[in-house]
Amino acid sequence: MVEGLGKRVVTEAYPWAPLEVPEGFRGKPVIDPEKCVGCGSCVNACPPNALTLSDDGRHRVVKLFLGRCIFCGRCEEVCPFNAIELTKEFELATSSTEDLVQEVRLVMAKCTVCGRPYATLREVRKVAESLPENLRGLAYVCPDCRGRISSYFVGFARR
Amino acid sequence: MRRASGSEVLGRVVETLKRLGAESVTVTQEGVVLSTVTKDRLRDFVRALIREYGESLRHSTCMGTDLRPVRGSFSVTHVLALDGLRLYLLVETEAFGNRPKVPSLTPLLPAANWAEREARDLLGIEFEGHPEPVKLILPDPWPEGVFPLRKDYPYNKKLYETPAQVRGVRGEPRFFSAKPSPPSESVREGCALIPVGPYHPALHEPEYYELYVEGERIVEARYRGFFVHRGMEKLAESRMTINQVPFLAERICGICGYTHACAYCQAVEAAARIEVPERALYIRSILLEIERLHSHILWFGVAFHMLGFDTGFMAMWRIREEVMRVAEALTGNRKTYGMNLVGGVRRDIDEGKASLVLRMLESVEGEFRRFCDSVLSMREVVERVKEVGVLTREDARRLGAVGPHARASGLGIDVRVDHPYAAYRFVDVNVAVRDSCDVLARILVRYDEVIESVRLIRELLKNMPKGELMAEYGDLPPLRVGLGATEAPRGEDIHLVITGRGNKLYRWRPRAPSYVNLATVPTMLEGERLANAPIIIASIDPCFSCTDHVVVVDLRTGVRRRMNLLRNALTRG
Amino acid sequence: MGTWFRRSTWVFHLNSGSCNGCDIEVLNMFAPTQDVERLGVKLVGSPLHADVIVFTGPVTFQALPYVIEALKAVPNPKAVVACGSCACGGGIWHDSYNVVGGINALYEILDALGIPRPPTVYVPGCPPKPEAMMYGVLLARGMVGQRQRREVYVEEVKEVEAPQDVREVVAKAVKAFRGGEA
Repeated sequence: MVEGLGKRVVTEAYPWAPLEVPEGFRGKPVIDPEKCVGCGSCVNACPPNALTLSDDGRHRVVKLFLGRCIFCGRCEEVCPFNAIELTKEFELATSSTEDLVQEVRLVMAKCTVCGRPYATLREVRKVAESLPENLRGLAYVCPDCRGRISSYFVGFARR
Repeated sequence: MRRASGSEVLGRVVETLKRLGAESVTVTQEGVVLSTVTKDRLRDFVRALIREYGESLRHSTCMGTDLRPVRGSFSVTHVLALDGLRLYLLVETEAFGNRPKVPSLTPLLPAANWAEREARDLLGIEFEGHPEPVKLILPDPWPEGVFPLRKDYPYNKKLYETPAQVRGVRGEPRFFSAKPSPPSESVREGCALIPVGPYHPALHEPEYYELYVEGERIVEARYRGFFVHRGMEKLAESRMTINQVPFLAERICGICGYTHACAYCQAVEAAARIEVPERALYIRSILLEIERLHSHILWFGVAFHMLGFDTGFMAMWRIREEVMRVAEALTGNRKTYGMNLVGGVRRDIDEGKASLVLRMLESVEGEFRRFCDSVLSMREVVERVKEVGVLTREDARRLGAVGPHARASGLGIDVRVDHPYAAYRFVDVNVAVRDSCDVLARILVRYDEVIESVRLIRELLKNMPKGELMAEYGDLPPLRVGLGATEAPRGEDIHLVITGRGNKLYRWRPRAPSYVNLATVPTMLEGERLANAPIIIASIDPCFSCTDHVVVVDLRTGVRRRMNLLRNALTRG
Repeated sequence: MGTWFRRSTWVFHLNSGSCNGCDIEVLNMFAPTQDVERLGVKLVGSPLHADVIVFTGPVTFQALPYVIEALKAVPNPKAVVACGSCACGGGIWHDSYNVVGGINALYEILDALGIPRPPTVYVPGCPPKPEAMMYGVLLARGMVGQRQRREVYVEEVKEVEAPQDVREVVAKAVKAFRGGEA
């Protein structure tokens, strides 16, 4: 036992020097607000409900509350747009829970028929891009109205 | 020598179960036989089973289920292990009515005690003939006749819904009593009572003990745990979907969480007949062994600390740090690996990571051996633990002890060998058994297991096949029973699930090893010196958060004479 | 947070029903690799000796009364370091029937009982690395600055309406649908 004494120092320099964390470390999740479309995939997958979705009429609010987050990385895995990822950041201490929140407020699209907000504008535009030219209009209509007028579009498409 | 031909054994057991009066017998998955019995015949049936299989029958746990929305009844499923025959027997019985009654098995199998009381607390099932039908799990102020695991109880209805409800008439907390409700009503005359906890310098988790002493000798020990009941089973059955629960299961325990995540996934995979790719099985086994390494080395540190040997504590935690770093590099977190989903694992172990593991093994094995060999050759240490805290083989068997604790009492049971899972099907595990039945034996068993884990990880890494990490599967079939068992660092960990609709669980019942091992503590403490209590309690490596799966307890430092220090201080202040 | 704890800080570890993950990491801070004792942080066994409470767990109802007593027992001035996501906001258990749901919910109960809230530092993580906890303790002592801040992004869009051509097509479709109805 004595022979080991003083051979090497195992105590790390942190906090006086930065700490390297390994590749793939599951640190603070960060939403890229430019990429997020507010689809809610991450919200459905999140085990502790750290990610929540709410609508306030004009905006859809994607809220990430680190005070509940278990840093599992499921959000990163399921996001279809790679808009959320776990960073290497671990120095997250704050003096208020308010500071543990990231909010992304995305503008809602209003249904062209009934005027009800039904999805984020970004999501609607993504859907519209993926549809063939002649069906594109359907993306701008809320699901309720869509059911009623879709026959017209289908007929239109056949023509 | 144990490897009798599986199907032959299975056939014989199914025959026997039918002969003994089971209504129906089904093989639900490999190594698991479900028999249903009417409740009038339950005791006779189990008595006959005990006569038939004798010593090798072990009561593992029992699960109560509110099946009223499906079948209009409650069910109780006992899990009996036949380790020698590599089988688990599920014995299911049904009961009707709002306060259903089934006969208790505790008089026949003492190990059923807590599990039955748990079903009584959470589901309101009465066990007729139970020797101590008192509250076990729910908090003291919980109202009578409210059962949170029943399907008509909302998972998020809290005991107190507004902060003001906590306030009593005179402004004091309404529910506060000077001490927790005693583990048992009776008071023992002629002895001094030493209460320990719930917050105490000697405890790192909130738990409450009552030790009755005569002079220096402990006459009786009682325990009120379940301070950490967090309502996990209910959350899994209501709020969560099947692939969220692995992360919940991992948080049963912060030390051996991954083994819970594995047991859970195995249970669901068994219920839904999902074939997990071989590479994923290897990765699970490797991580399980890494977890065992860190857990055992941590335990060595704690044990040394209990013996008043803090250099040992520091040395062990220094060695353990290397394991933690490798775990972080493999999984992204030091503790909660988060690697499991139903059907496989989320991350691969590539060449680079494998070489990281091998380097770690090299250094950990060397340092661990060097340090522990020199410690275990010291007479001061050996004399301190020899013939202390004896648990005889018979007691271990009777009380259903598992894991290193049972193996130190001469019982060669190990889930990795008896009910092979993950990649343990492909490698041979050497089971460490000692028969001196004392704390020294428990130290030596864990020493051997650390060395064996190192060997296993090397072998697993070498043999790991290439391939997929995740199986493909569709929606779960509803109302299938699945059982998953793993050998946690502390012993047998059992998860029982019943699948539900919409990729949810109908019922989930995890049982951690400390749950049964804790029942052996009073037996070991009786007649011992008070000064030996800490190391005896620590020698089972108790994990109270596992036990309360909802609760966690760790006795890390010595139980001293002035145990009620905190309480005295509080009443003065 | 003030300058009360500039020098040495004695901490009492209070587990309110956590899974042990954070608790072991708290101990890990005192192990050789992180060794917070070199920064003057010492683990003590009684709340009466402590300056700072390292608080873990989501607060179960069974532990609640004893948690309150232990918090009260720490002499003023004191501070709390809430370690782990359970303590910060209830974590994965936040809405379960038997947990109060994190330290802020506990503080609401303290308010109702007329007990003042101690200043608190929140360290999220599941469990946080020992270094992350160390950072929290140092933040409570004012030795490091806070890095994590609230972030709010509000999307600015000028054109909320659907494109002109889409609106025309949809209007036609609606007309056709009404026509079909009539």
